Amino acid sequence: MAIPFPTNKGKRPGETMRVKTKKTRPFKWKLAMLPVTAFQMLSFSSVVFETGQPDIRLMYIFAGYIAMEWLYLIISRLVTKRTSFELEIIAFFLTGISLVIAGGINEELAYKQLAAAAAGLLVFILTILILRDPEFAMSLRIPAAFACVGILAANLLMAKTVNGALNWIELGPFSVQPSEFVKAAFVFIGAVTLDKLQSTQSLTKYVVFSVCCVGALFLMRDFGTALIFFFTFIVIAFMRSGDIRTIILVCAGALLGAMLIVYFRPYVATRFATYRHVWDFIDDSGFQQTRVLIYSASGGLFGLGLGKGKLREVFAASTDLVFGMLCEEWGLLLGVFILLAFLLLAVFAVKTARVSGSAFYAIACVAAAAMMLFQTALNVFGVTDLLPLTGVTLPFISRGGSSMICSWALLAFMKCGRFAGGEAKNRAY
Amino acid sequence: MNNTSKRAYSLYVLAAAFAAGIVILIAQMAVNGGEWAANRANKHIYSRGQIAAAGVIVDSKGVVLAETAKGKRVYNKDKTVRMATLHTVGDTAGSISTGIHAAYRKELSGYSLWNGIYRLKEYGRGSDIHLTIDAKACAAAYKALGNYMGTVGVYNYTTGRILCVASKPAYDINNKPDDILTNTEKYEGVYLNRLLSGVYTPGSVFKTVTALCAIDNIPDINTRSFTCAGKATIGGGKVVCNGVHGKVNFEKALNKSCNIAFGQLAVELGKEKLMVTAESLGFNQSMKIDDIRTAGGIFDLAAANDLDLAWAGIGQYSTLVNPLQILTMMGTIANGGRRVSPYMVEKIVSPSGIVTNRGSINAKSLIEINTESAERLKALLRSDVVNSYGDSRFRNLQMCGKTGTAELKDGQTPHAWFAGFSLRADMPLAVVVVVENGGSGNKVAIPVANKVMQALVP
Repeated sequence: MAIPFPTNKGKRPGETMRVKTKKTRPFKWKLAMLPVTAFQMLSFSSVVFETGQPDIRLMYIFAGYIAMEWLYLIISRLVTKRTSFELEIIAFFLTGISLVIAGGINEELAYKQLAAAAAGLLVFILTILILRDPEFAMSLRIPAAFACVGILAANLLMAKTVNGALNWIELGPFSVQPSEFVKAAFVFIGAVTLDKLQSTQSLTKYVVFSVCCVGALFLMRDFGTALIFFFTFIVIAFMRSGDIRTIILVCAGALLGAMLIVYFRPYVATRFATYRHVWDFIDDSGFQQTRVLIYSASGGLFGLGLGKGKLREVFAASTDLVFGMLCEEWGLLLGVFILLAFLLLAVFAVKTARVSGSAFYAIACVAAAAMMLFQTALNVFGVTDLLPLTGVTLPFISRGGSSMICSWALLAFMKCGRFAGGEAKNRAY
Repeated sequence: MNNTSKRAYSLYVLAAAFAAGIVILIAQMAVNGGEWAANRANKHIYSRGQIAAAGVIVDSKGVVLAETAKGKRVYNKDKTVRMATLHTVGDTAGSISTGIHAAYRKELSGYSLWNGIYRLKEYGRGSDIHLTIDAKACAAAYKALGNYMGTVGVYNYTTGRILCVASKPAYDINNKPDDILTNTEKYEGVYLNRLLSGVYTPGSVFKTVTALCAIDNIPDINTRSFTCAGKATIGGGKVVCNGVHGKVNFEKALNKSCNIAFGQLAVELGKEKLMVTAESLGFNQSMKIDDIRTAGGIFDLAAANDLDLAWAGIGQYSTLVNPLQILTMMGTIANGGRRVSPYMVEKIVSPSGIVTNRGSINAKSLIEINTESAERLKALLRSDVVNSYGDSRFRNLQMCGKTGTAELKDGQTPHAWFAGFSLRADMPLAVVVVVENGGSGNKVAIPVANKVMQALVP
């Protein structure tokens, strides 16, 4: 890649070129983290003191989380000598909310959620370490592809149906959603594969791989995740080829496929029949959306207060419908604030991708950001009937380990967008 | 910077769509939030399908008609008041769709975009609804109807405030009968507010319309003379009168409610003119009372021949009218031709104390009929009481009005009607009474109207 270099062209001898360097102000992470921590302490204490008597164990769990946040930031600062923690701080803010919600239900769930957050952070760190060495990362692509297909196949065979989706596998005390892990792998494989070669062979392999994944997800009836995969595929393909025509062709093919599916799968058709008619189906297929709307509206701008909501009594309140629960108990203002946080996350990610010197990191970063934003939109706008309902979780905030780990893995890709020039062993792509 | 990085801009497209989604979400919440929060499925407000928490409903004198105590909805202590105001206040399950509990549930929840229903949750209070009705008068009307089914309505024709609404059959909301749906003889249409939603054959009350039409279109109507021999052949068929009146002028014809005279007038005036007059008095149109729609009634002469026209002119044929509309017709005449829309909700007081005056905003003044005609008709309606019904039957009320004995099919006892108004400056009230299958309007409806009006004497 040609690096822009100041030359003496067009200047009279003796005159020197002034090289303009953009002064990047170091991100004042401590200043940003303080209000986040203050907010967390406030929300944590309202849960701890909910019954009047302080719940000591919950207090330890929450304190443990805050300690974990600051430990990571401080150690990271010392080791990497960087201060650009924008992404992590937003993620910590969102993760903290999931902890408050879990704590508001019971102690055991808070414990699990803390473990999930810790696991997520661990995966985050590991993924970044792997990605810093692109050659090593590259070598992982075939195993990752097989793992993806393997996991989805195993899921198809072993999974039990939970409310219409064959998407859960029970491993002892934990229930995992394998499709969550496959999401992060999909971004990785997409960025790596398409980056390697523009040969049709490589492209075909990737398309076949993607079709397998999307197909498997359809068979598992997890249409939301299938949609997310498809959308991410489009983004990755666009990032690589930039060919609008190919994109349009693919979309047209997909639309045809979608129409066939709607025709043959009554479950999907119901979702579309209910869309924008939720009040006509208030007690069956529109149950979740109408309850979200009713209780979000009840909350007003400032909410009814932690624990005082009624949406928490509805099934999936702290997972799929968590946005409604937030609006009801914490208020619409906070709900909108959280949405803006997701928006900011994506925008920060893209900003870094612009300065990235590597196509691989840029693709991974943008794809991950697009996937996360798209999933957030599907969740939030789905439960509020602005889009058809698809059972996808809200990243970071929905209770559950698989969702949390996947969110942090995607965050790792977003963070790696800023790997440029000499920071990673970079090759000209 | 390579192409790949430039294409990262594509994420901004997604981000813009996302931002648009956020704006739409906020907008939808702002517009529909109140309706959503007031939905029956909201457990904050409803428990097992019944309103548990809501604001207070009071009458014009501050008498509490419904309130929330200890998480339950509690009504007035007096049984007659409860039964008399049942249809106005409504039940909490929403069976009475024109009741305040159903039509105003959003306001009762005290919802605001700012607070949601926080105040209802925290303080147990929603917005309070102040009605224009007088519970005491409603109870008097309810008692006056006795064992009959029917309805009574009274409103102030200069301000539009409705003072009395009573509809029978009703039930005691504290003691809902088990056979309410099965015993159709006793509880037919029990959930209907007959004043707002009922439609009946008007009978001679309709002669008021025919009279107005005649005043407007026949310049020499006062000197005209009619001959009544008890029955007559009009349009190839028979019209039967309620007596043999001999030679009568216009005023006497109305006083005596002569079917022959008015039947002949109807034919002379013709379909078009009659329809124009009727529609200017609100026939064929439903009204909106505080966001509650009333029944429209039917007055259609398209397929009528002369005989039908004659019967239509005396309030028979296929005509059906809503009692509230007849009430406002009388009010329009009383108010010099200017119609003031009736309303029931005086004001709504939000939990934070903000007062929204509802009634006066909606009480539109529309000139419906020409003043001179109205005054002449007013005089005629006064002479009805003075010459025919007897002023002593409306002691000190300076009453004007018209009775009706509406013939029904299959030999059923006719409905008894009275519609009229008081000329007293300190009591500008119009009244309508329908006693279902009560028989003679004069014998049965007038005493009811009198009892109600006396209860409202200031």
